[in-house]
Amino acid sequence: MVIAVGAKTDVGLKRSHNEDNLCVAADLGLYVVCDGMGGRNAGEVASRLAVETIQKHFQAARDNADLPLSGDYDRQFSATTNRLASAIRLANHAIRTEAKEHTSQEGMGTTVVSAALNGPVLSIAHVGDSRMYLIRGESIAPLTADHSLVAEQVRRGMLTEEEAERSPQKNIITRALGVDETVDVELDEIPLMQGDGVLLCSDGLTRGVSPAQILDAIRREKEPQGASDRLVELANAAGGLDNTTVILVVIQDMASQGPWQRAWKWLLS
Amino acid sequence: MAKIFLKFNEQVLKEIPLEGPQLTIGRKPDNDLVIDNPAVSGHHARVVKEEGGFFVEDLGSTNGTFLNDVKVQKQKLKNTDRVSIGKHSLIFQDEVAPPPPPPPPPKESESDKTMILDTAKQKELMKALGTVKTAAVAAKEEKVGWLTVVTGDADKKEYELTGRLNVIGKEDTATIKLTGWLAPKNAAMLSRRGPAYFISMPEGAKKITVNDEAVQGQRELQDGDIIVVAGVHFQFSLKGPGK
Repeated sequence: MVIAVGAKTDVGLKRSHNEDNLCVAADLGLYVVCDGMGGRNAGEVASRLAVETIQKHFQAARDNADLPLSGDYDRQFSATTNRLASAIRLANHAIRTEAKEHTSQEGMGTTVVSAALNGPVLSIAHVGDSRMYLIRGESIAPLTADHSLVAEQVRRGMLTEEEAERSPQKNIITRALGVDETVDVELDEIPLMQGDGVLLCSDGLTRGVSPAQILDAIRREKEPQGASDRLVELANAAGGLDNTTVILVVIQDMASQGPWQRAWKWLLS
Repeated sequence: MAKIFLKFNEQVLKEIPLEGPQLTIGRKPDNDLVIDNPAVSGHHARVVKEEGGFFVEDLGSTNGTFLNDVKVQKQKLKNTDRVSIGKHSLIFQDEVAPPPPPPPPPKESESDKTMILDTAKQKELMKALGTVKTAAVAAKEEKVGWLTVVTGDADKKEYELTGRLNVIGKEDTATIKLTGWLAPKNAAMLSRRGPAYFISMPEGAKKITVNDEAVQGQRELQDGDIIVVAGVHFQFSLKGPGK
């Protein structure tokens, strides 16, 4: 399978710190975006701890297939998806432990959106309002539903999407890492197809840039890195109120190449 | 509890809780609040509790009752209203303490800062929002897809598709395990999106057909569809859970 990845994080125009963190570990098939929050620099600490903990757990699981899971195994999902949930639960624990040791970091937290690729299967896990989108052909579709107050209100039919966009409460999230002893991680998995793009982003992008604009930018740029840079530019052009982080993973060739195919390609080149 | 503060020359003389259905005010001693002053009539006015709140009512006084400097007959009282009777004033304080002033608007760069609801607040809010079916509960009520083997080699006769993603193939993790000698590792994938099921073929997989039509990319399955994957014939059906 051939994939191409672009990633970019930017402080934006109004903030002094970048509290977002990301992880691109193509060897593990792991991609993570975290948007931290909390006083002083605690938001940065929380989001960094989260990406580091998740990546470490994946590395450890690659080296040891019997590595225990944190939390129960959900039979609805594959082993990789369960591993992702486990890693996020550990990240929650790591943040809480750190916050207990340093009073200045009390109350810090972070969102997380993460993708793990295992062959053609995309594992999806998220907590909070960082999002994932699937770009397939000429369409863009959300793969996650925000854990935010306004999103809950939309789901209950109390607000329309447009009202939610304008709501002063749109920055209130209902789930995050670091808040509670346990964390409810929302999971999903889908089969990917050749040419699919998977976008992970913090709310700095989605606050100012519509899905249609995102799709347009990705379709115009040839390479995922160029598209990632462009998306951050768009977020800043829309005000740059928040930190913006994007990871774009594009499935360029789905086929796993056997030795004969590789030989054939080599002969042709 | 709502209260009346009796003031004279900006001095609070008395604090009267509004307990009963009414509070009569006048010069005569049979009033609830006696103001011994020649400018005050014998039975001057009263504060009465009615549906919707407290009202001040003039009882035909000689010099009149004024609410915030306007002469009134009967008028509803708002928090901090001032009722003037002669040279005395009555300040009305409503039942609920006034809400604390809203926090000053945060600086521009802070206004978009993400906030987390703590657990207690969250539960409270969710309660206030009312309940919706959680995905798990909704899923229980939804129909579940089943695959029944019509002809061909597989490890079972029937499969309940409870997982989000079900692989048909020879690989160990496949839900629907093909046992034929030449069966591919991953021949097809069935994914569940809400109540719907889709079949898709992994890149490089051999042909899959649904009702004799070759699948391109992915296709939504309907109750009764006949699926052929790597020579094995399945029938897809939607049933209530556990049936």
